[in-house]
Amino acid sequence: MSVRNTPERWGLVSQAFHWLIVALILVIAILGLTMGELPRTPKYFWVYTAHKSLGITVLALMLARLAWRLYAGAPTPAAGTPRWQAGIANLTHWLLYALALAMPLSGWLYDSASGLRPLRYFGQFELPKLVAPSEWIAGLAGQAHDLLFWVLAALVAAHAGAAFYHHLFQHDDTLVRMLPARRRVAPTRSPDHGP
Amino acid sequence: MAHKLTTPAAVAAMLVAMLAPARAADYVQAPGSSLAFATKYDGEMFTGRFGGFDTRLSFDPERLDDARLDVTIELAGTRTGNADRDSTLLGADFFNVGKFAQARYVADRFRALGGDRYAADGTLSLRGVNRPVTLEFTWTPGRPALLSGRATVQRLAFGVGGGDWADTRTIPDEVAISTRVFLTPAP
Repeated sequence: MSVRNTPERWGLVSQAFHWLIVALILVIAILGLTMGELPRTPKYFWVYTAHKSLGITVLALMLARLAWRLYAGAPTPAAGTPRWQAGIANLTHWLLYALALAMPLSGWLYDSASGLRPLRYFGQFELPKLVAPSEWIAGLAGQAHDLLFWVLAALVAAHAGAAFYHHLFQHDDTLVRMLPARRRVAPTRSPDHGP
Repeated sequence: MAHKLTTPAAVAAMLVAMLAPARAADYVQAPGSSLAFATKYDGEMFTGRFGGFDTRLSFDPERLDDARLDVTIELAGTRTGNADRDSTLLGADFFNVGKFAQARYVADRFRALGGDRYAADGTLSLRGVNRPVTLEFTWTPGRPALLSGRATVQRLAFGVGGGDWADTRTIPDEVAISTRVFLTPAP
């Protein structure tokens, strides 16, 4: 598999960014959705620190991923994909990039404005505060963080749903070419597909 | 020369003479007063204001033996600029306002520290615990007069932030209290 992206498939670097960030966002989401149930005592604050540190990790990875995407480009849409579908897919990708940046940024802003305690990356070093403590900003950033999560979840569902649709019903390479697995020759539409 | 305590008028005149100076030095709290605390969480400083407080003071720099300070502090309604922190602060681990809605500070031993500075050695009742606390303050006469003071309270002695919160590397034991009380003569 190529390190760079080719017109047929995503290269090693783009795939690594994609799946690493998928895994991180999944863990962050589980932590974020459940940590509010924990007793609010210092014994459990490490869970919040883990959620925030993983989020900062995603932020850093996303910046690198965006740079790579701008440098390495993207495969062309699988053959036979209508232009409007390719357009929606492209828009979804860029919205996902935007959300994957906006989530950690709104979370970081929420943390800074709350002014509760220092944000130390996995307990190792202190990250700067984006703003001074402010109940107003904390309220807005917290609401944005909650709302954007559900926007992100909806986009992920649409994006993954479309990938499975292409794989299961269109029988094209749209999903497989984001997987490291077999070297499959590009457009193989089964001859018996369609009327 | 002995007073002649023979007529009601004479008795009344003498009582007025005795009471008048004391009454003149009795004060109540005027609007604009503040009572705040400051501490840190994991090195991050924050300040808070209590839900309210009410001050009664008898004070005459010339008669410190007669001075008395009595402050009632409403713990409910304490605000630190963060709703999560506030709810924790009012809960059982900290102020426990469900059980102890008020704190009280009473002092009747006063010392002159020189100039306009004084110290009051009093007792703070907080969370059902009574402990000595010294308030150092400056006194600025006037209408209103201003008492501007500072004290240090050892939170753990009162059980504020026990259990999981007791680690003083996270929250120091000493909490800084500062107050500016405007005082007008008691009606």
